[in-house]
Amino acid sequence: MADGRFFSTTKKGEVAEYKNDLHSLDRKSQKNAVKRVIAAMTVGKDVSSLFPGTHNVVNCMQTEDMELKKLVYLYLINYAKTQPDLAIMAVNTFVKDTQDPNPLIRALAVRTMGCIRVDKITEYLCDPLQRCLKDEDPYVRKTAAVCVAKLYDISAEMVEDRGFLDVLRDMVGDANPMVVANAVAALAEIQASSSGPVFVIDGAVLTKLLRALNECSEWGQVFILDALAAYTPADSRDAEGIVERVAARLQHANGAVVLSAIKLILHAAKYIEDAGARAAIHKKLAPPLVTLLGAEPEIQYVALRNIDLIVQSVPGILSHEVKVFFCKYNDPIYVKTEKLEIMIKLADEKNIDQVLLELREYASEVDVDFVRKAVRAVGRCAISLEPAAERCVNVLLDLIQGRVSYVVQEAVVVLRDVFRRYPGRYERVIAPLCECLEALDEPEAKAAMVWIIGEYADRIDNADELLEQFLEGFPEESPGVQLALVTATVKLFLRKPSEKPQALIQLVLSYATQETDSPDLRDRAYIYWRLLSADPDAARDVVLAPRPVIEAAADGVDPALRAELLGELGSLASVLHRPAAAFTSAARLAVRRASQLGAGGVGVSRSTSTAADEAGGTAAGGSAGGSAAATPHVPTPPAPVPDLLGDLLDLGGADADAAAPAPTQAPTTHAAAGAPDVLDLLGGLSVSNGAVFGADAGRAAPGAASHLPVLLAAEAGKGLVIRGGVEREAGGQLAYQLHLENAGAGVPLDGFMIQLNKNGWGLVPQSQTIPVPRLAPGASASARVPLVQNPASATPALTPALQVAIKVSQLGVLYLADAVPLAALLREDGRTSPEAFVGEWQALPDAAEQARTLPLVIHAVPAAQASLEAARLFVMAHKSVPGAEVLYVTGAAGLPSGQRAQLLLELRFVPGQRGVATVFKAQETSLAPAAFDAVAAALS
Amino acid sequence: MADTLFGYSIPFPTYDLYVAITAVALYIPSIILTTPEAFGRRVQASRAAGSDLPPAVGIDGVQYLHVKVGDLLWVATTRVNLSPSLVSELLLRITVICRDYFGQVTEECVRRNLPLVYELLDEVMDYGFPQNSSTERLKQFIAIQPQAARSLPPGVTGVAGGEAFDRPAEVIKSVLDTSRTGPVKDEIFVDIVERLTATFDATGRQKSSSITGAVQIKSYLSGNPPIQLGLNEDLIIRGREGGPASHASSDAVVLETCSLHQAVDPRRLDTDRVLELVPPNGHFAAMNYRSTRSFRPPFRVYPLMEDDAVAPDKLTLYVRLRAEFPPSKTATGVELRLPLPRSVQRVHVETDGARPATLGLPSKTHFAQGAEWVERDRVLVWNLKHLRGSQEHTLRARLTVDAGSVEAVKRDYGPITVQFVLPGKPSASGLDVRYMKILKQEKNYNPARWFRVVAVANSYQIRPHWL
Repeated sequence: MADGRFFSTTKKGEVAEYKNDLHSLDRKSQKNAVKRVIAAMTVGKDVSSLFPGTHNVVNCMQTEDMELKKLVYLYLINYAKTQPDLAIMAVNTFVKDTQDPNPLIRALAVRTMGCIRVDKITEYLCDPLQRCLKDEDPYVRKTAAVCVAKLYDISAEMVEDRGFLDVLRDMVGDANPMVVANAVAALAEIQASSSGPVFVIDGAVLTKLLRALNECSEWGQVFILDALAAYTPADSRDAEGIVERVAARLQHANGAVVLSAIKLILHAAKYIEDAGARAAIHKKLAPPLVTLLGAEPEIQYVALRNIDLIVQSVPGILSHEVKVFFCKYNDPIYVKTEKLEIMIKLADEKNIDQVLLELREYASEVDVDFVRKAVRAVGRCAISLEPAAERCVNVLLDLIQGRVSYVVQEAVVVLRDVFRRYPGRYERVIAPLCECLEALDEPEAKAAMVWIIGEYADRIDNADELLEQFLEGFPEESPGVQLALVTATVKLFLRKPSEKPQALIQLVLSYATQETDSPDLRDRAYIYWRLLSADPDAARDVVLAPRPVIEAAADGVDPALRAELLGELGSLASVLHRPAAAFTSAARLAVRRASQLGAGGVGVSRSTSTAADEAGGTAAGGSAGGSAAATPHVPTPPAPVPDLLGDLLDLGGADADAAAPAPTQAPTTHAAAGAPDVLDLLGGLSVSNGAVFGADAGRAAPGAASHLPVLLAAEAGKGLVIRGGVEREAGGQLAYQLHLENAGAGVPLDGFMIQLNKNGWGLVPQSQTIPVPRLAPGASASARVPLVQNPASATPALTPALQVAIKVSQLGVLYLADAVPLAALLREDGRTSPEAFVGEWQALPDAAEQARTLPLVIHAVPAAQASLEAARLFVMAHKSVPGAEVLYVTGAAGLPSGQRAQLLLELRFVPGQRGVATVFKAQETSLAPAAFDAVAAALS
Repeated sequence: MADTLFGYSIPFPTYDLYVAITAVALYIPSIILTTPEAFGRRVQASRAAGSDLPPAVGIDGVQYLHVKVGDLLWVATTRVNLSPSLVSELLLRITVICRDYFGQVTEECVRRNLPLVYELLDEVMDYGFPQNSSTERLKQFIAIQPQAARSLPPGVTGVAGGEAFDRPAEVIKSVLDTSRTGPVKDEIFVDIVERLTATFDATGRQKSSSITGAVQIKSYLSGNPPIQLGLNEDLIIRGREGGPASHASSDAVVLETCSLHQAVDPRRLDTDRVLELVPPNGHFAAMNYRSTRSFRPPFRVYPLMEDDAVAPDKLTLYVRLRAEFPPSKTATGVELRLPLPRSVQRVHVETDGARPATLGLPSKTHFAQGAEWVERDRVLVWNLKHLRGSQEHTLRARLTVDAGSVEAVKRDYGPITVQFVLPGKPSASGLDVRYMKILKQEKNYNPARWFRVVAVANSYQIRPHWL
């Protein structure tokens, strides 16, 4: 996309045209020219050259013409930063203007000076500001009040030294409400960036503010109401007084005023002792909240996000109003989504029928995303509202019968959660579910269905046939489905230990242990294998143990965070459902990451705490993703380890790649978070029982990502962490091993593509697509991208540098720099004959020779020879010279052209002593550093 | 769609404001190095995905808050935890002020008036603090002259959607005109605009209904005389004092909630049911209200799905649309949409001609109507440009469906939605402006007064499966 076009303007040649006019003596054409300059400035054009002499600007400033003066001031605000001379020349005119008889000009001057952040100007600002703060005209005073906040941002000291803060505090008692409001706004602004108490509201201030409240502008009311929310009422009566005075604001047409008033009233109501009075106040809040839903969609959205918080904290406040949250078909999707959330929260036994009727209706709408959310909402109602679960399940059944693919898939996923909530209660649903297997093509839905089949294997007559159907495509399935299939097959076998299940389990376990690249899958298969072969009864006890019932989804926001957000009602934090600190400064993110890393202990306890963290993160809304996981306000109790284990064996697979299933709060039941930790746990087991697992288990899994270096950290990758490196696989195939982790993008990521810039080795990916599934926030996946060498993509210089571009649908293109290790390019057939070695060594000029002493220790020649040959560096000869051993080593790197670059090396060392004197000789001298690295890597 | 984007920004440490114009949006980098391009990409991405971008979007630590008015996006950015509703309200207000000053808010108007936009914004807010947002009071501070747009847009639509049809003088003029010389006449427009929400079941019974309404004023009165608008005397406003006692007659007009413009004196409303105010020049809503009283629905729709006697994979769909309002009114822009499930393969649609529902003279005007099957969205769209009261029309569609899915289609079609604009008294809620007094002590002062009532569909839905 041509971003440049954002700033393109209409005509060229304009510039020259109005340059002339600017110098004109005619006021009118001068004015028109300045106007056009301003217009050009707004579209991003650099017009700073148009006032060639500062003289000209100042001349224009001194005009009596208000319009021209304003235009020039606008110009100055924009260019003072880049042309400080201009501003300094203008200072005298500014100062003069602050004493102009016309209050508009006085205010304009002081306002403009505050916007010009040039030291010289700031110095000159103080005296006029002092005067203007005491000006007789309220318009000038209110402008000066704001200017204090501007000055504080430039120089806090100056404000304090001059005593401007005291003046501002006095202005809170000004007779003019406009001045009061601006003084309050300025004080609040200063307070936000100051550590000490700047603005303390006591009884006296309260009285002044309440008096000004009724008379000032709507925006001023917002400032005052927000400031008052920091006041702690002295007693119950005081609080009641505030509520009474503020209640009239609830009818204001401006949504911002209404929300700020509600915040203040909720705050004050906490101090009212009489519960009846409190309830009466809460009741008063319902109509204004409902009224906000008649406003523009943008206002509605803010209101809905806030209502979401309010109904969680003050349940019952809108219990009779569920109807107003029914979606209108022309609501924007973001409004509909929020309304759904609130409908679920307001659903109770009385209105559930109405709510279900609505949700059922939404399921036939056109927008697929919304339909899915509606179906999910039915499931969530079932889980949170036990008496109505039956009715919800009926609606889901009805939806399944419609046979619309995405509806069925979504319904299957939520029904799995319904089964987890009410084990064994709705088995009648299973038969109709089994009829629509062919409709399932999404991994999450497939995994859910597989889980259901496994869980109810003994109630489904043809469970073995159904699983067999799924198993036919096992190798092509996504990892989540594969994991679910392994578990389900084991359950089937344990529930029906007959011939066919036995055949199935052998099939699936042998595939999962031998043919797959996925360490998760293989490890899980090994666990089952071992369990089953060691003690089938124990296996039954573990695998078929009663599952913890998932709790009613306490949707969304954690209570502690909610309490904090409620205090920030109407603010951005309350809309994003994230604490202000999480988004007001990007720097905070890195700090929290670091502290999170340090927080981990060792071994099992460490992995558990991370798991709990992650569970909390997912529960906190999914949308916040990785960053929410780090929220310090989410106190999640560490999950007991045995639970976690039991859960993994059972369910981990069902959820492993689920984006964010029904947000289940209880960390103990959140399987997705459990999975990696238990694998860690059993990693230790596998070492001590090497015999059982065979040599295979000891080998590092090719997909294991931990050894890969981080190529792009989350900060640089917009939340995506990329690890990877070029490796040579058995058979000589080159591949880019990648491990992608969605650590903080906040949205699911997909559509991963890779491209390599021209590079020394001419490497290009065979396919640009990176084969990883959609990555939900917090999820990660490994992938290999096979590479081939193409001379057309090679740069003349044989350098290891590799520039990689990775494209993600949601993040755009990410660039990163990597280096190709020489080891990856060394060919299996790199051997030459000793004669050829000697001949070539002698043929090469001295210039082709480089030497370096590597800080290595070689103890014995045979071991070193084995290590080198494993890295495809072949030992041609071994010679013992007095006081040292010498190895002659060769290797051949494949060039893009298909030819080989033969490397000749001489390694001279004393066994057991540090230091290997290495001499490199080859036509391609540029490979020397890489060759030294390859030797060092092979021998260390 | 125009690709040219421009921008206007006020570089405030607290927040930047971008007036984002046209199809995509426009911006300018300012003190805070925000990247408007990132936001532009997000806008385009969500547009490509056919969804709506939420009003608050965080990109790289910067929060982008926007409102969409017409084709223009107005964007503000911030890094601090401010009140998004304040920003949204402010952005909306700025669009209203711009409309008041340039007559209309289009890309061209804004572009031609960029210096004025600068000046206005400079007055409207200082350092990011909103100051003065009243068109009227801004006048004394504004020095730059507005530039008229060169051309009028083909269809001027407003937020209420109620301006899409002919009216006495669609005013595209600046409030500054009243204070300047020239042949500009004093006039005031008072509109009751009601947005109707209703849900009907298969038999045409009204299952739920509500009205969101506003008394909107556009004032171009010189000298700003106070005015009085007399509302229904028996008006009941819940949560407010005054009005008739609670045992008043059942046809009293009842408003559930109402909010008032700052200029309106609430006491006069409570005591006399009169909106008394000094109208500032420009557009504003004097009163917003909501009513849940069930109203007489202006349209009824009866869908019927019939099996085909011969072909097992065919269905005939009849949709009967009845205008229930009196013949003196005419609805415009009537559009009925009916989604059909995926198993419908082919659709053949036909509509009838004009035919009065009751006996009488045939309608003189041959009105335009048309229906089509929009395969991409799987929706049947039926448009009627005009629809006189008491008329009735039927749409017949022959559906060919996947074998065996006849029952599923019967169960899963709909919901039917209707859009319309219906001008004319009485309003759906019954709210009325009985009289308008302009309190100016001048003998020959008789400015033009325009008053109208419009009902538009907000969400008017028929659910064929509800009983």
